[in-house]
Amino acid sequence: MIKKLFIGSTDIDFLKVGKLFYRIFIIEAVIFIAVFIFSLTGILNVNLSVDFTGGTTYQFEASYDDTDIDDVMASTILDVSRYQTFENSNSLIFRATENTQDKETEFLFYLSNKFDIPDADIDFQRVGPTFGDEITTKGIQALIIFLTLVVLLISYRYEFKYSLIALIALTHDLLLVFSIYVLLGLEITPSTVIALLTILGYSLYDTVILFDKLNDSIKSSKYSYLSEGSLNKTFNEVLMRSLNTSITSAIPIASILFLGNYLGLSGTLSDFALPLFIGILSGTYSSIFVTVPFLAKIINK
Amino acid sequence: MKKLFKILFLPIISISLFALVYYQNLSPKLGLDLQGGISVILTADEGTDQELIEQAVEIMRTRIEAFGDVQEPEIAISGENSVLVQLPGVTDQERAIEALGTTGLLTFRPVLDSSMSTGYSPALELIVDPDDPENVSTAIKEGVTGVDEVIGISIEDNPEFESYILSVNSGYPVVYQLGPAELTGNDISDAIAVFPENEWIVSLEFKDESANLFTELTKKLANENGEKRKLAIVLDGEVVSAPGIAFDVDPTVGITGGTAAISMGNADGGESANNLAIILRYGALPVSFERSSIQKVSATLGENTLNLGLQAGLIGLIIVSLYLILYYRILGLVAILGLTSFGLLFYSVITLLGEYQGFTLTLSGIAGIIVSIGLAADSYIVTFEKFKDEIKIGRSFQFAADKAATDAWKTILTADFVSLSAATLLYVLAIGPIRGFALALGVATVFDLFFTRLYTRNTVPFVSNLTSSSRGFFPIKMKDLLND
Repeated sequence: MIKKLFIGSTDIDFLKVGKLFYRIFIIEAVIFIAVFIFSLTGILNVNLSVDFTGGTTYQFEASYDDTDIDDVMASTILDVSRYQTFENSNSLIFRATENTQDKETEFLFYLSNKFDIPDADIDFQRVGPTFGDEITTKGIQALIIFLTLVVLLISYRYEFKYSLIALIALTHDLLLVFSIYVLLGLEITPSTVIALLTILGYSLYDTVILFDKLNDSIKSSKYSYLSEGSLNKTFNEVLMRSLNTSITSAIPIASILFLGNYLGLSGTLSDFALPLFIGILSGTYSSIFVTVPFLAKIINK
Repeated sequence: MKKLFKILFLPIISISLFALVYYQNLSPKLGLDLQGGISVILTADEGTDQELIEQAVEIMRTRIEAFGDVQEPEIAISGENSVLVQLPGVTDQERAIEALGTTGLLTFRPVLDSSMSTGYSPALELIVDPDDPENVSTAIKEGVTGVDEVIGISIEDNPEFESYILSVNSGYPVVYQLGPAELTGNDISDAIAVFPENEWIVSLEFKDESANLFTELTKKLANENGEKRKLAIVLDGEVVSAPGIAFDVDPTVGITGGTAAISMGNADGGESANNLAIILRYGALPVSFERSSIQKVSATLGENTLNLGLQAGLIGLIIVSLYLILYYRILGLVAILGLTSFGLLFYSVITLLGEYQGFTLTLSGIAGIIVSIGLAADSYIVTFEKFKDEIKIGRSFQFAADKAATDAWKTILTADFVSLSAATLLYVLAIGPIRGFALALGVATVFDLFFTRLYTRNTVPFVSNLTSSSRGFFPIKMKDLLND
């Protein structure tokens, strides 16, 4: 099987396989929609960073023990809402809800005294709630325009039905990453939003290459429309490309993740790499196994 | 020969450009998140006159320069009513933040009364319970409005009306009752801190047209005694200093000549005098801003992140190269030469953009670059896989290579077009970090198109002549292919 995959001479019947993956897709869809609705209604907690909620973040390295953290959490200067520690390093992150600038500076000096480090070594970030709103609004704006453009482009280049399938694959990838973030309680930062937008691009790029291939197969087949033969031919041929592409794309991102984890560094780059890594795997999966069942449906009609 | 030139055209350009950048000792201009510093976004009220914001930006620049210790401060208008201030490599961050924080409205207001003698705000009066003389409470005086009930400070300070303002500048809290503003920072032409003899003095000069106003004001104040003899310098609703009018000032003449001297004592070696002089000189901005975002990155964190990005990128590139050679053999080498040139070109262009256009490489830019490695590698894979498909159906190597290169170009053109429109859209719509990412991605996509069209398309047919064994290109035996 692996040898066949290497040679590119697999002869999987994707119409049959498609039925299995259709069931998997339905299960996924139910979970994603449930998670999405639960997070909207507040039943599930979405862990948004200060960039969205407004507030302050203090990050620094210092030796500490648990009582120190309890002390800081009980501090009355600011309403400290969360803290974060790391296994491989002495980094500490505290987050507090918005307050006056004086209070925030006072808290900075408090931390500097408490952990006996110069205050210049504390990374400090303050974000007004309007800033987060702006990011979110612009992000949603970008998303809507982008998706409209995608539908138009794919409809023009291929078929309208294809654009719907591409949208389903895209939504699948975005919701998968989102669900993982919500269920694991990972923090959503602006980097996560950038990553989600990149996933959109990636997933789409993958799907377009697939459709292109499909178009070629249809042209070289004896039918002028999508047939079982050209569908199977396309997907069998495209397997190795998809595998190779996702391997080469995922490797640099995986190296950020592992190196970052090994060095005990957390930060924007890792915030970015994780959703991207999940998204690339998901994009490769969806470009084949989410599109197949829907393409099969087009044939059946 | 001509063929070889076509193949090596892009690699040679990339290498020479890199050599140029390397020998001129240029390196990419790093953003704040990679070298440490502070970034503040200041937002004015919506609909503020653009000209006023431009003026404010000018004043902020001179202010920041006056504080020294800041390398290449960047202050730029971003969006319609926001100013992005970036101060990289600042060592004394608290002071710099303060320098920005006090860029509010500067006014001169006569002191009407203060809490200095009584201990409580002049807006309040003591009420002694007649039955129990020990039970003392405070209440707001009659006729005073807009004041907090407990501490007696104006809830909102409007310089045009009387207000009660707290000052902690002298080390202990004092509540001043201030009259409406008589002069503003705009009336000052210059202020410096000097040490003529025994003590520090802030020497103040008013603009010609304002000198009279100041004289009239001092005439009035010189008639008074005690707290009422003081003139408060108020910045951003806080009393920075409240010097009294000297006792030798003649109430019928006032302080003339448009100059004044504020005695600052000698306690702190002139620091407070210097700060006051800077505030007087540059304090008044024509617009008031709200800090909508502050980000502070220490130099070590920035450096660590940069190294992480570079190391991860390098390791990723090496593993990808190994994988491509193992799977695609000779074609893998083609891809590696292409990817290396791509990397060198990218580095050079970013460096040059930083040098001549002020483009700064940020963390999200690095993320965009790392992502683009995958994008570029994919273009080769698409081409090579098409090549394999053509060989599989029995075409000659030469024909297969030509067809693969042509077909792949069309596919990649469509796919890159999608990426490019996504990048453009992101760049136009997005703010802050997302822009750096979009730009890196967009540039990478354009380069990818160039490389596919000029390099891959010529090179793949060329190397297809080098061997007649399919094992030179894929881990497959010829007979496996033909048996298919």
